[in-house]
Amino acid sequence: MKEDEIKKTVREGYARVAKQSNSCCATASPCCSGADLAQNISRAIGYSEEELESVPEGANLGLGCGNPVALASLKKGETVLDLGSGAGFDCFLAADRVGKKGKVIGVDMTPEMLEKARENAQRGNYENVEFRLGEIENLPVADNSVDTIISNCVINLSPDKNRVFKEAFRALKPGGRLMVSDIVLLKELPASIKNSVQAYVGCLAGASMKDNYLKTIKDAGFRKVKVLEETVFPIECMTNDPTALAIIKDSGLSLQNVKEAVDSVLSVKVSGVKP
Amino acid sequence: MKKDLMEILACPVCKGDLQLEVIEEDKKEVITGTLKCTKCSQTYPIKDSIPNLLPPDLRN
Repeated sequence: MKEDEIKKTVREGYARVAKQSNSCCATASPCCSGADLAQNISRAIGYSEEELESVPEGANLGLGCGNPVALASLKKGETVLDLGSGAGFDCFLAADRVGKKGKVIGVDMTPEMLEKARENAQRGNYENVEFRLGEIENLPVADNSVDTIISNCVINLSPDKNRVFKEAFRALKPGGRLMVSDIVLLKELPASIKNSVQAYVGCLAGASMKDNYLKTIKDAGFRKVKVLEETVFPIECMTNDPTALAIIKDSGLSLQNVKEAVDSVLSVKVSGVKP
Repeated sequence: MKKDLMEILACPVCKGDLQLEVIEEDKKEVITGTLKCTKCSQTYPIKDSIPNLLPPDLRN
């Protein structure tokens, strides 16, 4: 797939998720049955009950793969940038941490997601959160202006991850932190999955090999790059979309091969510092 | 879009400073307007309080 095609597909895929929100699918998997499902996934990946209850209903779409906010140790008064903010879940949690003097900016390229995020911000009365329609490869943010960058299961969707991390580096102040959760691979996926458009949208086909991912972060200039946590990610939760599961089933792979492919998919929490 | 967040914003293409032109605003924020890059002159619309800062080739 060409870069433009990938971006278009990802945008359309997530516009669909934004519109459906509470009805992603019925009973295809235990992980995939609407709002309860989103909450269950979120519990499983490290959000506390308190966090889940503190945000406006509909802000959590269950599309993340970890809780970067829990790791980011945000301080009062900080400026936070969320790459791929979706319906705003992590932004709202971050907003509570940085307090009134802090600021949280969410950037997302899907207009339908931004509309949802904005509605959620209004319902939750968040004064210190703002959303911008923008691309994470071309951040609309000034140099050296942000204290912490967070991102939750989004960078894997970018066809140009080098650029995303370089942009993040540029936007951070010296001493600023990068705290991301994402999907990475331990070995290359079978071609039939790798070439699937649906698997791309489901955060699978676009994922990098773990070593490459970490190298990309270091090459962008970050130091103290560390994997804080890694877990094998349940595939039902990752795809959150029966279509992607169907693609995997129809890929012609044996069950053993599918299992191997799935076992090589990791959810990682990575941190880095701009010197 | 709140005005006090202007200082963090930059043109997504050339990273130049953006100049705000307000068409409609309420007490809290700018509802409609444009952001113009002082360096490359590209303009970005603000609609329904959300600035559209996608690079021009991705806007539609």
